[in-house]
This record gives sequence, structure tokens and C-alpha cells, in this order.
Amino acid sequence: MPGRPSDTKDALVPFPPEAETVPLYPVQHGVKPPIFRVFVSWSRGNVLQVACIRPIEDESVREERNGAGEGGDIGGKVMEVKLGASDGNVEEAERRRIAYGSVAPFALLQSRRNSLATIYRVSSSSSVTEWWQHVLEYSKSISELLGNTALPSSSVIEDPKMVFQATARPTPLKAAWQLMEIFYVDRHSFPWILECLVDWLGEYDGLLSDTEVIVHRKLVKLQEKLVNVQVIEDDSEYWEGISSALSIGWLEVVVKLLRLHGSYQLDQLDSRETENGLVEAVAVLVSTMPRMRLDLPMGKLGQCYRTKPDFVKGLEEMEGLAQKCMQLKQCPTSSGLVGLLIGILGESTEVVMAECLKSFGPWMVTHSLELLTTDSDQTEILLHEERYSLGGISIMELHRLIYAQVLSSHPLTWQIAPTYLVSCPKQGLGLLEILLYKQPLQNHVMILKNLEICRLYELERISSCVKEIAGIYHWKHGRKGCGIYWFQQAHDEARLNHIAQKLFECVGIADETSKRWEGLIELLGPEVESAGGLGFLHKYQNFKKSLQKVKDASSTDAAQQTVELLIQVKLLNWRDRPLLNVTETNLLLSKLQELSTAKLRPEFYQSDLPPRALSSVRLALATNLSRTFLEG
Amino acid sequence: MAASGGRLLYRCPQSKAVDAVRWLRPISAFDRFIAAAVHDTDTDTDTCSSAVEIHSVNLSFNPENPDHSRPLLHLRSSWPSPSRISSLRTSETRQKHLDGGRECVSVGEDGRVNLVSIAEMRLDHRLVHDSQGLVSYTAARWGSQAEFATGGFGFGLQWWDQRKPGGLVSQFKGWLYLEHAIDYPPLMSHKEGYPNNKVGGSSGTVFAWDLRRQQEPILLSGVGPTGTGQSTSESEVWEVQYDIHTQSSSTSAASSTKILPVMMCSEDGILAVIEQGEAPIELLAEDCAINSFDIDPQNPSDVVCCLEWETIGILLRQRRAISAYS
Repeated sequence: MPGRPSDTKDALVPFPPEAETVPLYPVQHGVKPPIFRVFVSWSRGNVLQVACIRPIEDESVREERNGAGEGGDIGGKVMEVKLGASDGNVEEAERRRIAYGSVAPFALLQSRRNSLATIYRVSSSSSVTEWWQHVLEYSKSISELLGNTALPSSSVIEDPKMVFQATARPTPLKAAWQLMEIFYVDRHSFPWILECLVDWLGEYDGLLSDTEVIVHRKLVKLQEKLVNVQVIEDDSEYWEGISSALSIGWLEVVVKLLRLHGSYQLDQLDSRETENGLVEAVAVLVSTMPRMRLDLPMGKLGQCYRTKPDFVKGLEEMEGLAQKCMQLKQCPTSSGLVGLLIGILGESTEVVMAECLKSFGPWMVTHSLELLTTDSDQTEILLHEERYSLGGISIMELHRLIYAQVLSSHPLTWQIAPTYLVSCPKQGLGLLEILLYKQPLQNHVMILKNLEICRLYELERISSCVKEIAGIYHWKHGRKGCGIYWFQQAHDEARLNHIAQKLFECVGIADETSKRWEGLIELLGPEVESAGGLGFLHKYQNFKKSLQKVKDASSTDAAQQTVELLIQVKLLNWRDRPLLNVTETNLLLSKLQELSTAKLRPEFYQSDLPPRALSSVRLALATNLSRTFLEG
Repeated sequence: MAASGGRLLYRCPQSKAVDAVRWLRPISAFDRFIAAAVHDTDTDTDTCSSAVEIHSVNLSFNPENPDHSRPLLHLRSSWPSPSRISSLRTSETRQKHLDGGRECVSVGEDGRVNLVSIAEMRLDHRLVHDSQGLVSYTAARWGSQAEFATGGFGFGLQWWDQRKPGGLVSQFKGWLYLEHAIDYPPLMSHKEGYPNNKVGGSSGTVFAWDLRRQQEPILLSGVGPTGTGQSTSESEVWEVQYDIHTQSSSTSAASSTKILPVMMCSEDGILAVIEQGEAPIELLAEDCAINSFDIDPQNPSDVVCCLEWETIGILLRQRRAISAYS
């Protein structure tokens, strides 16, 4: 935490001494006092932009200082201050990784929804099946993104005392996603939903609560005990552990625990034969427990049954589980997963959404809403209905907009926000325009990335705005070429004409200065029209070139070309100052004379010069000559 | 990791923006290193958030069983940079300093062209040209000991020769574009410029120029002013390099006037090899932009690239039977 500066005199803005709890963020601006003005504005996300500006110095004072070797003082500085402490970098990076990875599946699902909607105008059973398969595919790719499923141990020699396999702690996000997939998407598993839950609990039970007694914690505790206790069956926790594991269907754990029973020990086997027989019988019974599922992964116990009658039984058991969860509801420390489970079992979409948002954030809500709508038309209506209370948007759109704003507030994720904004029919496009319009454009690469998004979504108006902003930015910073390039790209004729007027004053007649302009003329390109008022530079260059030709070798063709250029140009009549010196004007006048006399020659080819062209050029040249004399 | 068409891509997430990547010259036959210009947005703004990082690359590549070979980028060292890095180049010499060796061409949007050299712990620079902002440069590349090319906003490429007064020798004609990258072929007969954004559109375009015919740009990819040409990518082209790995379809490349195959990466996530008059070979089509890549000069089949989504990618192409070990 930033501390209070010991010397408050240095503070730019004085603060009252009683404000003890105000967090302070020191800004290292490095601008020499006096500071004339401080501007504060919001930048992206929770970043404030602070500008410290010194008073404007007189030109003479600055020069004096520069002369005295004190130059280089900056006139001001713009800094960024990040508010709030970041909550662990790794988490943030992980959040972004998930955000990046979910863009493609989300976009694919949206485009499939749109194409399905055009193929089947009314919802038919085939479209429902197709859609469900797309959602399942989507769910699987998102799930993959959230982490790998724990694989069964592959070690050949198993430790008999390891009843409980400690795997890398799975993430609650993955657990929540899997849970929703089981209940809303995976139709293959609907008849075996209880078994799916057993598997789910096997993986994620440890996440259910941090403080309450849960089976996972019970077993971990028992595991620690097993190493030291000799006669395990005398311990009540042993039996409790077995019954807990059995109650949620962890058959492997039960069988392993049973085989740790004291009667299995070699020295006991003879005296406790009957007892051992009983225990083994139970273990066998447990390991062949009928399970209502298609197949079992390696290492899992039980016998698979695919028939329906058991389904009823399954339902009953599920209700039991639901009851258990309902009871858990009262406990205040229950994690988001329990809340989510309650919402799902209570068939309450609102609760599910609220739990998702509260415990897992905007990413989870936005992406899981796609799962909720697969099976229920009611939910579909609930989510897509436009609501007056939300300003005419649907719940679906609201959550997408919230998520897009989270993405927009980070410099590395703003580029994926458009994917979500364009899926919002009401306000998405408007917000997308604001997002693109407000992006900082100091970085040349960023401008191009921004324009790329404009092109992708055919936002030509914004594209032009961005180009204009870029043009102004560069022009203001003295990068004339860049500025002109962007104005030209934006077809901003008004600004180009304005620039043309400014530049016109600087264009000189000396050769060494004209060389400087060549790069800029090159930049403007051959199409004079796109250069706006700056087209004069082209004409000026062409004129200079042909004048050079005339000087090098006097020929009628060259002379004629020069005259043509002069007629187009109107440079001669430029009001501020003459653009040709005395020698050049004289040369042109004599060439003009040559052209007039050439008319009398028999081989003269009548060009399509305007009838009064020659006399008007002559007049212009004469005026120019007199002005040059006056200036000289 | 993904494999297709004899190619293998490893993705290494970095948790920070990667702006450029380069292979480094190996110290021994078994070590391979890359340099990456990174920018961390999670650190506080008043501390240094940009850096050049050196990673060792552990590609225990097993062509028999590619799924079990694990690539690992291992961070070896990091040098903090006061500002975000826009371009990264590696020295071709093994010397620790550039002393007595080549100078760096440095160009900027302010229109200055400088030659920077390192001398006794300090940087010296010599101003070659100052366009006073009338022309802005965004790319530069050495052609020979004395010659280099620059590109930027405009209609062409500038060719400079230090031995000539003023430096600027000629302008190569092109179409309106922004240039981001320039490269030279291993043989010094051609040079290439890499523009895009032709007037009225933003189709990614790659040109080549023959030094002997400077006013005739050769279109390698993209749509030319006449509306012809084959487009590999429709968006900005961020980097180009001559690809010495891809065998030119004209086998007697040395004698032919044909341009060598060129690798390019683009904003729309394409990494491809293009050749004059041939269909492009797409190596990668990612969901996000590929901002930079580098072909390993020692093992030209291996390419390192950086993706917009904070990831370094290492692409292994099938090595040619003999040339890989020769």
C-alpha cells in the first residue's frame, strides 16, 4: 500500500489531515515546478490518466535557458495511475487465458445458431437435435479450456493404504461447468444422471466447502490415520468413512477400506475366518453393485446396467441428495458450487444465474447461458425476452454486455470484446463503436489493429474517425507525413486543404528546399484527387521537372509541356509570394515566345491549347516577374 | 500442441504480451535460445513492465512419438526496458558487443534515419537524414555493408547507400501502403519490401523488387491496382522473411530470375509461405493475430512466432532428409 508522503508540501493537491483512510497513490511526474495545471481523466479499466503541465514559457526565456545549457526541460507529462491492488498476477493471467480460449467456441456457436435459424424457420425436432449437438460440442471445448480431468493413477504397484487418491486440486470453475453440462446439455447421460453426479462428486467433492465436514475431508483425515492405527476396525471413523463413501457411491474407496480390515492380516486370518469371510463378501457385493450407466472407466468398480427400471430408484436417490443439499443451504459458508447445485436441482434458472455471477463472475454467466437454453423453451423465453426494466434488452444481452465491458477495460483483452458485442442485437453495435472510437492511438500498430476490427464489422464511419484522430495526433506531434497519410486515408479534404495552405507558405523556390518535399510528394501518390488541396505539390513538382528539361535541352515539346503545366497550376498567380525567380520567369517567357513563333512554321502541329492560354500565361508570367523584382 | 501435415505447433502461454520473437545464435549444438520482447500489464505502472527475455528451448523432439516430446521454454534471463519494445533484432556475430562491427539502422516516425553504434559502454549515433517529419519511417533493413532500405508511409521503398552524399540513392515505386517489414534474400540479387493497405482497401499485400528494375514492383500476395493477384490474407502483414527451408518449385533457383519463397504472418492469424506464381502454403491459421515470427537460421525448418493472445508458438516443420543434418 502506498504510504502517506512525509512531506505534504510536495503534494500537487493538498488534502485535509483528517482524511486518514484515503488511499494515496504517489505519482512520479518528474516535471519541474511550478506546475500550472493538473488534468485527471479515466483511462482504460481502473487506470487514471494524470497530466501535469508547466506554464507556457516565452520563446525568449526558453531560448535563453537553452543557451545556458538548461534545455531539455519537459513542458509536462502524462502518466497512468492504476487504482486498487492487483489480486495476484497469476490469477489475472489465467482469467485472460480462459477469455482468449473461449472466443472461438462462442463465435462458432453463434454463427451456427444463426445459420440454423435461417435453415429451419420454425423449431423442428431435427433442428433441436442438431442444435443440442452443437451446444454439447461447445460445452466440451470450454470444459477442456478450464483444465484437464483427473486421470486414474497409472502406477503399476498400488499402495494398499492409499485408499484415497490425492490429485491436483481441480478448479471450482471447471466443477461448476461440468455440473451444468451434466444437467443441461449431455443428453446421453440423462438416464444415468445420478451416476454422473457420483463421478462429479468423486472429482470435485473437495471443493464443496472449505469449513464444513464433507466426505472428501473425512476421508483425507482417515487416510492420515490409517498409517498409524493397527486395529482400524475399532475406530468409529473407519466405519463412518466407509458409510460416507458408500452413500455417495465411491465404491473403490469402500472396497479398499474394507480390505484394510484387521481380519485380513496374516496373523489374524486363522482366528477370524468367519469375520473375514463376511467382510470379503461385503467387499465383493460392493464391487459388483449395479450401476445404471453405459460403461465404467478403468479402475472403477460396479456392474453396468443400461435398463430403465432402475431409473426410478435413481430418481429417488437423487431426491435424497437434493434434500441433503437443501439442508446445507442453511450453512452460511457454503461455496458457490453448493448454491449452484441447489439452483439446478430446484430448477430455478434465476438462482443458477445469480450463483454463477456471484461466485464465478461475468465470464461464467455469459458462457453458461448457452447451456441453459438447450432443453427448455421457458428458459429460452426468460433469457431472450426484451425487458422494459433493462432498457429494452434481454437478460442474455445484459450479461454479454457486462462481460464485454470487463474485456474492454483491459489493454490485452479489448480486442476480443467485439465478438461478444456483435452478438448483442440492441446495444452491442453502439458500444462497439464507442469502444473503437475511444482506443488510445499513440501506437501505430494499435491504429492498424483497430482499423482491422472496423473493416471486419464494416464500420466505415468509425474507421474514418479513427484515421482522422490518428492524423491529428501525428500532425500535432510534428510528424507531417504521417498526419497527411491518415487524413488522405480518411478522405478528410477540409483538413488537407487547410494543411495545403500552411505548407504552401513553406514551399520555396530554391532547389535544396524543394528536395525536402520529394518524400512527401512520393507519399501523396500519383492520384492528385486524393490529396485534396495538397495536389498543388504535385503540380509544383511536375512543373519544376519540366522546367529543368527546358533548361537542359531546348525543345518545342518540353516548352509546350511546361506551358500546359502552367495553365493547370495557377501557381503563378499565387497571391502571397512569387514562386519563380527572375531567371526562371525569363526563361519561361522566352520559351513562350518560341511557341508563338513556332506557329508560323509549316510543320507546326496545332495543339489543343485553350485559345487564350498563351496570352493568360504570358500575363501571369509578367506579373510574376514584376513581383519577383519587388521582392528581390 | 497440434500437429498437421508433418508440422507440429507447440503453444507456450506467457501471461504477458509478446511483441516480438527471435532465435538467438546457439552457443553449443545442444542449446537453443530465443529472445522475446514482452510487456506485462499486470505490474504496477510505475515499475518497469517491458523487458527482453531470453528463454532456452528444450525440444526433445522425437519424430517417432511426437506426442510424448515435451517442449519447454525456460526463462534464463530478463533485461528490463524503459519502454515497450517495437522491434527486435539479433546480432549475427557472437561478440558480446557490436564494437568495430556493424552499426544499427534506426528509423522513426519523426522522419530521422540514424546509424547507431556501440562504443565503450555508450551509444553513438550519426544522423544520416532528417526529413523533419515530412516522411515517417516504420521499417529498416541492411542490404550490404553500406546499403540499406527503409520503408514507411508512402508509395515505395527508399534505398540508401552510405557512400553516396546525402545517402538516399533511389525510390522504388509501389502502391500506397504502410510497410512493416523488409527482408533480403540470402543471395544479394533481389530485395523485398512488405507493404499492405493499397488505396481504398486493406488487403494484405507483399511485394518484391528486383534491384535492377526498381520501378517494377512484383506482386507476391494481395490484390494489385489492376485487381489481379492471389490474396493469402486480407489483413495487415506484420512480418516477412525469405524462407530458405521451402524448396523453390523452380529447382535451378540460382540461375533463374524467380524470387525465393517468402514467409509472412498477418493480423488475421495466418502464417504462410508464398511464392511468385504459386498457390500459397498456409502453415498456421490461428484465431488471433500472429505479430512476429523468426525462422531459425541454423535449423530453417523451425519457426518461432508470437501470438496476440500472450503466447509464444514454436512450429516444427518436417526436416528435409539430408539438408537438416548437413
